[in-house]
Amino acid sequence: MNRGIAYYILGRFLQSVMVLWIIVTLLFLLFRLAPSNPLASYIDTTFTKEQEAALLARFGLDKPLGEQYIIYLFNLARFELGDTFSYSGKSVLDILSADLPNTIYLTLSSLLVAYAVGVLGGIAMAALRGSLFERVGTTFTLMTRAAPTFWVGMLLLSFFAFQWKLLPSAGIGPAVVRYRWETEWDKLMSPVFWRHMILPTFTLALYLHGLPLLLMRSNMLEVLDQDYVTMSRLAGYSEWRVMIHTAARNAMLPVLTALTLGIGYSIGGNVVIENVFSWPGLGRTLVRAVQQADYPLAQGAFFLIALIIVFMNFIADILYSLLDPRVGASAQAQVS
Amino acid sequence: MSRKLVSVVVLLLMLLVFAIPAASQTAGEAVPAIIVRSVTQAERPIEFETTRLVVENMRQLGLEVEHRAVPWAQLIDEIWYTRTGDEAWEMTYWRMVGRPERSDPDEFTYNLFHSSVRDGGYNFIGYNNPDYDALAEAQRVEVADKEARLDIICEAQQIIRNDMVNAYFVHPLTPQVVNTEVFNADSVVTQAGIGVHNFWTWIGIEPTGDNKDLVTSTTSFLNSFNPLEIAGDAPSRVTEMTWDRLMRINPIGVAEPWAAESVVWEDPLNVVVTLRAGMTWHDGEPVQSDDAAYSFEAALAGTTQTDEDGNESFRAEAPDYYPFARNVANIEIIDDLSLRFTLHTPSAAFETSSLAKLNLIPKHIWEPIINDLLTKDDADVDSIQEDIPIGSGPFKYIAFDVNEFVLLAAFDDHWARPKIDTWLMNVLPNQEATLGQIQSGEMNFLWEWPGDPGVLQQIVDDNEPLDLFSAISIGFQYFAFNVRYAPFDDVTFRQAIAHTIPQQFIIDNIYNGFAAPADSFVSAALEYWRQCDDLPTYDQGIDGARELLAGAGYTWDDDGRLHYPAE
Repeated sequence: MNRGIAYYILGRFLQSVMVLWIIVTLLFLLFRLAPSNPLASYIDTTFTKEQEAALLARFGLDKPLGEQYIIYLFNLARFELGDTFSYSGKSVLDILSADLPNTIYLTLSSLLVAYAVGVLGGIAMAALRGSLFERVGTTFTLMTRAAPTFWVGMLLLSFFAFQWKLLPSAGIGPAVVRYRWETEWDKLMSPVFWRHMILPTFTLALYLHGLPLLLMRSNMLEVLDQDYVTMSRLAGYSEWRVMIHTAARNAMLPVLTALTLGIGYSIGGNVVIENVFSWPGLGRTLVRAVQQADYPLAQGAFFLIALIIVFMNFIADILYSLLDPRVGASAQAQVS
Repeated sequence: MSRKLVSVVVLLLMLLVFAIPAASQTAGEAVPAIIVRSVTQAERPIEFETTRLVVENMRQLGLEVEHRAVPWAQLIDEIWYTRTGDEAWEMTYWRMVGRPERSDPDEFTYNLFHSSVRDGGYNFIGYNNPDYDALAEAQRVEVADKEARLDIICEAQQIIRNDMVNAYFVHPLTPQVVNTEVFNADSVVTQAGIGVHNFWTWIGIEPTGDNKDLVTSTTSFLNSFNPLEIAGDAPSRVTEMTWDRLMRINPIGVAEPWAAESVVWEDPLNVVVTLRAGMTWHDGEPVQSDDAAYSFEAALAGTTQTDEDGNESFRAEAPDYYPFARNVANIEIIDDLSLRFTLHTPSAAFETSSLAKLNLIPKHIWEPIINDLLTKDDADVDSIQEDIPIGSGPFKYIAFDVNEFVLLAAFDDHWARPKIDTWLMNVLPNQEATLGQIQSGEMNFLWEWPGDPGVLQQIVDDNEPLDLFSAISIGFQYFAFNVRYAPFDDVTFRQAIAHTIPQQFIIDNIYNGFAAPADSFVSAALEYWRQCDDLPTYDQGIDGARELLAGAGYTWDDDGRLHYPAE
C-alpha cells in the first residue's frame, strides 16, 4: 500500500469517528429533549411520587444532563449500552445482539436476490435495448422502486399468506419450533426459518433490485460503446462472451460500490419491512423503543445502525481507493 | 431587612402574581383560547375523531379552541407533569382501561379524585373537595355493611357527576373473536367489564376436536414475565395464569376464594386465609402458608433512604405491587396451610385489590432474589427475569421470547387443569396481519383489537367459523378538565361543555355502535355498584349549553365570542 492510500484511509477513519461522535451526541440530545417521558409507561392510578423518584434514580435520570452525557459517552466507548427501561432484566446489548443477526440475514438475503436479479436483468436489458422486454422491464422496475414497501408487503401477505396460505405471515417461525433453537446455528439449519424469510426477503428485494438493475443497464450501455468492446466483437468472440466477460466485468465496479453502501443503508432501512412481517430485527425493536420512550434501547439501536452505515461507507471508500488508484494518488498529492 | 420582612414581601408578591391573572380572567373578559389534547389520528382514530367533533361543538359555543394531537407517550408526559403553572393543560381526552381488580370501585373512587393524590398522583385534574374526600375514605373502611358502602359509592358518583370534573361519555365494548371450529362457543366465559379474554375462559374453553392449542396475539408489548411487575395488559394476562392467587375475581366481578379454600374475617382488621391442600409449584415443591405470606412480604420489602436534606423516603423492591400490600400490618403463620393477615385500617377492597391481586410466589425461589435486591440501590424486581418462571397456576411456563411470544402449557397437577393443552400469544405489531391470521386460522382467538370494530364485524360476517363476542368494559373514555384554572374551575362552564358532547352520535357514528353510554367512573358492567338514583344528564346540546352559560352570567360579544360573567 502506498503512502497516499495510507493517509487517505487514516483521514477517512478519523472522519468516520467524528461523524459517529456527532451522531451519538445528536442521539443523546434528541431523546432527552423529545417531548415524551420514559416514566410514561409506569404511570397508573397507583403511581406515587416516591415511585417516580425511585425510577428516575434507577435509570440515572436524576443526574444533571452534562453528567448523563459524560456517562453516556464513557459507556459507549466501552460498548456498554446500558439497561433498557422496558424489558425486565435485559440489557440493551442483550436485546440488540438477539435482533442484529435476524436483520443481517434478511438484509443479506434480500441484497443477494436483488443484486443477482439486478445485475443479470441489467445485462439483459442492455443487450436487448429497445425491445419490448426492456420497456416492460424498466417500467416494472420503476414501479417497484416507487411503490411503498409496506404496501407491497401487505399485498404479498394478503395473497401468499392469507388467501392462498402458501407461506407464513409473521415472525421467524412458530413458537413451538423457535423455543427449541438454542443457537444461531440451530436457527439457520431450520427449514422453517428460511420459509418464514421468503416473503420479507422477496418484498425487500423487489424494492432493492431497481438500483443495481438500472445502474448495470446504464453502465452496460456506456461500456458497449467503448472501443475495446468493438475490438472484442471484431476478434470474433461470441456475443455472450462479449457481454459477460468484456462488458459486464467493466460495468460491475459501480454496482459493487453500491452494494457495499446498500448493506449499510438496508440494515437501517428495514424498519417498515420488519414491522409488516413482525420480523424480530433491529428495525422493529427501534420502533417499539421509540413508542415506549425507552431511551437506552432506541439510542442503542440508532447507534448500531449508524455504526454499520458509517463502517460500510468507510469500507466503500477503501474499496474505491484500492480499485481506483487515482483516489490514492490524489490524496498523496494533497499531503505532499 | 429582617428575614421576617423578606418573607412577608415575598408572600405579598406571590399573592399579587396569582391574584392579577385570576382577576383579569373573570372580569367580563373573553374566555381565552383553549387547547384540547388527544392522541394522534394514526395512533387512535376513534379518540382523535371524537375530540375533533367535540372541539367543533365547543367552537360553536363561542370559544376559541385548538385541537392538539400528540403521541400517547407525549400526552401522558404533558398531562402528568404540567398540571400546574402557565403551561398547565386545560382539557384532554383520556381513557381508563378495565382490569379485573377494578371490579371493586375503590381504585377509581379514591385514586382519581381524592385530594391527597392531586399533586403527584392520578388526580391530575386537581379536584379538591373535602366532602368528597370524606366519602372516598369512608367507603374504604366500610367493611361490615355492603349496602352502607353502596350508599357512599352512589353519593360519590352523584358528586362527581354534579361537579362534572370528568365528562364521561362511553364505556367501550371490547370486541373479541373466537374460532368456533376449534373451540366450543358455549365454553367461552364473558367476565363483567372485561370481556371474553379472561382467566375463566382460558381455563374453561373447550376444544371441539384434537386441536387443543389456543393461539392468540397482541399488538402491544410483551416485555415481562415477572410475578412482581405490572408491565401492561398482555404481560398481566400471562402472569395471572402462571401464578395463582388466594382469591380471584369471578365472572360477575366478585372476589371468590381460589388458591385459598376459605377466607374468614375475624373482625374488620383480621382475616384468616386457609390454602387448598395438595397444591404444588411447577417445580414440584408444595405450596404452603409461608409462601403465601412471603408473596405479601416481597411486595412490602424495601429500604428507607435519606436524601441530602435529611428527608426519608421508602423505596419498595416491588413498586408495582407495594400499593396493593401496604395496608398489611402483620402476617401470622398459623399452620402449614393457614395464615392471618392483620390490616392497618379496615379495607372493604382488600379482597379484590389485594387477595385477588397479588400473585403467589414460591418463597424458596424469591427470598434469595429479594434479599439480594435489598443490598442494591439501583435495582428492583423490574430488573429480574427468571430463566424458568415457577408459579403454581393452571398454566406453566414453556418458553418466552421478549416481545415475540409466550408459550404456556396446561399444568397437569393443578386442581383446575385447563381443557386446552397449550396457550400461545404472539406479538403482531401489524393489525392487518392480526386480521389475516384470524381469517386464515393461524390464530384462533383474537382478544385484542385496537382498530375499528366495524371491520371486525365484517370479517366475522364473512367467515362462518368466527364468532364475535363483546362486553361493556369496566374502563371508560372521557374528557378530563384541569379544574385548577379558569375557565374549567367553574362548575357551570364544565357542565356546559358536557352538554356539547354528542354522546349518542359518537356511539353510533364513531364507535360504530361498539360502546355503551357512560355517565360515571363506575361502569354499567358493575351492576351492584350502579344501583343508585339516576345521575344528572347532560344532553341538551349546544343550545342547552348556551342557556346554562347565559344563566350564570356569561355573555357573547358581537363576534359571537364567549365572555366571562362581569362579576
